Amino acid sequence: MRRLILGVATFAFAAPAVAQDPGMSVPAFDAKRGGSEKVHMLGHVPGHQGPWKAADVEMEQDPSRPYVYLCGFTNFDVQIYDVRDQSSPKKIYDWTIENPELHRGIGAMDGKYFKIGNRYYYAQSYQFMQGSPDADLGAVVFDVTGLPDPSKVKVVARIRYPQAPGGFHNTFAYKHSDGRALYFATVNQQKALVYDLAKVVSGGDPSSWLVGEVPNPTPFKQIGAGGYHDFYVGYDPATHQDKFYGAGLGGYSVWDVTKPEAPKQLFTITSLGMDIAHTFTPSPDGRYAVTETEYQYTPLRIWDLQAGQTGKTQNIDLPISAWTADWRDLSHNHEVRWPYVFVSAYEDGLQVFDLTDPKNPKTVGHWFTCECQHEHGFGGTPDNGWQSTTSVEQGAFGVDVRNYDGLVVLSDMRTGLWLFRVDGFKGWNGRDHGMPNISSVQDWDHGPEGAQKPATTTNDHGR
Amino acid sequence: MRIVALIALSAVPLLVAAGPYDIALFATPKAPSAHGSARLVYAASPFGVAVTADGRAQYDIQVTAAELPEASSLGAFKAYVAWAATPDLSTWVRLGTIRNGTSIVGHVDLNKFLLVITAEADSAPPRHAGPTVLHGTSPSGWLQSFLNHPMFRGITG
Repeated sequence: MRRLILGVATFAFAAPAVAQDPGMSVPAFDAKRGGSEKVHMLGHVPGHQGPWKAADVEMEQDPSRPYVYLCGFTNFDVQIYDVRDQSSPKKIYDWTIENPELHRGIGAMDGKYFKIGNRYYYAQSYQFMQGSPDADLGAVVFDVTGLPDPSKVKVVARIRYPQAPGGFHNTFAYKHSDGRALYFATVNQQKALVYDLAKVVSGGDPSSWLVGEVPNPTPFKQIGAGGYHDFYVGYDPATHQDKFYGAGLGGYSVWDVTKPEAPKQLFTITSLGMDIAHTFTPSPDGRYAVTETEYQYTPLRIWDLQAGQTGKTQNIDLPISAWTADWRDLSHNHEVRWPYVFVSAYEDGLQVFDLTDPKNPKTVGHWFTCECQHEHGFGGTPDNGWQSTTSVEQGAFGVDVRNYDGLVVLSDMRTGLWLFRVDGFKGWNGRDHGMPNISSVQDWDHGPEGAQKPATTTNDHGR
Repeated sequence: MRIVALIALSAVPLLVAAGPYDIALFATPKAPSAHGSARLVYAASPFGVAVTADGRAQYDIQVTAAELPEASSLGAFKAYVAWAATPDLSTWVRLGTIRNGTSIVGHVDLNKFLLVITAEADSAPPRHAGPTVLHGTSPSGWLQSFLNHPMFRGITG
């Protein structure tokens, strides 16, 4: 209760400008069906039979590769869909951990695709719990170059981290300015792990795959071992630095990872109501950021990072605004395509808001995908089917945006895979908005925009 | 405060389901109504506590099972067999046959292991081949900290 009061107090005092859009009422929970005028649902596939259908979702960005990866969560699988026909996504591949009936845990959580040379790969993160097989498994890496032929998809590596069992909850695949394809992974220790993906897919000694670690200066010690929950990595063309934006559960931190073997801390965000600091996504230029904290009633907070980015302060503690789909719920992950923010908002489905004026976020539209009973979300244990009667952790879990044409895909824990288009959003290039063309989407062939080309590309290995 | 309380609550299912000698058994889709539990008991020893020559504790396992269907209803199977498997599933040790009611099987001298009950074509198969109907984890298998996300702790109610 104390935590809840602190959180609400922070919201009230620190972010009085905007939360829910002024003048908007919230619908009755049982009226959350369909969508708003500007959001168009194109396709929907449940994906699984049981009550829990998906965790995160990942979409490839090459126009010639219309593939979407649905993380199967407690089903322990990954499904690959061909979304060439957006009204009828076609499942073309499904892989499940061996001996699934003996495994226990939340399973297939996060997925990231990447490209090295002319080959495409997909890394599926896993989390299995104590006593389960594969409790040390962080990710399974597939060569998916041969899609859509499923017979050509191969498991090429498994990343294990027995030093801290429990797997990887979130991951980020990043084309570093030095030419390497890197894989950042959360772990149940007070740091993030950095893998060189070329070494991973080339096989060899797994002890050589791990090339860096990013300490977590804002741990939330009440939870586990003080690790990160999530992060974003992006290039800053103004400073010519690769920057790591970490959500450390007790707060947020920004690191210079230009040399990932020796990260340098730049600044932090710590403040009241930072319990379970969950997600941290900057604007393309790093000036602003959207953050999430994982508890009911909290809004997404908007921050001006300038004082931190310029070295004027070591810590920022006051957001400039906030946004929520419905104050009674919780909005989850998000993708920033400035000025738009695409949110997988748990019980409130897909939500889109506009940060043109960062101090006054404006809702653009929504589509309710969960169609679920309020506060009957994920919780408990495997033995009760992960059911809860208090949790709002259900519904829209992950979201991804295809930059070349604006297709939006969303994974819903209760209802599976959804495809959308948003009126007026036909793709995204940062330059069209006066920003660097920097987002979670990587230019695997050329590296980040504005970066000096490395003298040699170390990750091709003749592929 | 709420966090602390919830973390405390999260420990309750483990304590109830798996005491220091108890193994909760979980069903699989092959036999969803089956249920049961198991308890580690020291294997017979003139010294009271049974250990191997290199010092590992040696147990028998008392398995109590209910609502196991006829093995033949699952296919060409005649018996239910209990196995102890290492957590990486690389080593499987056949422990004995299981019926509805109480059965004692063993010995097992693994530190951490999975207790797996499968339907098999023979009561003494050389390796496991049939479908799993019940499985559980030795109490020693719980001795790891996984508190890295609310979802993973079952604290949300």
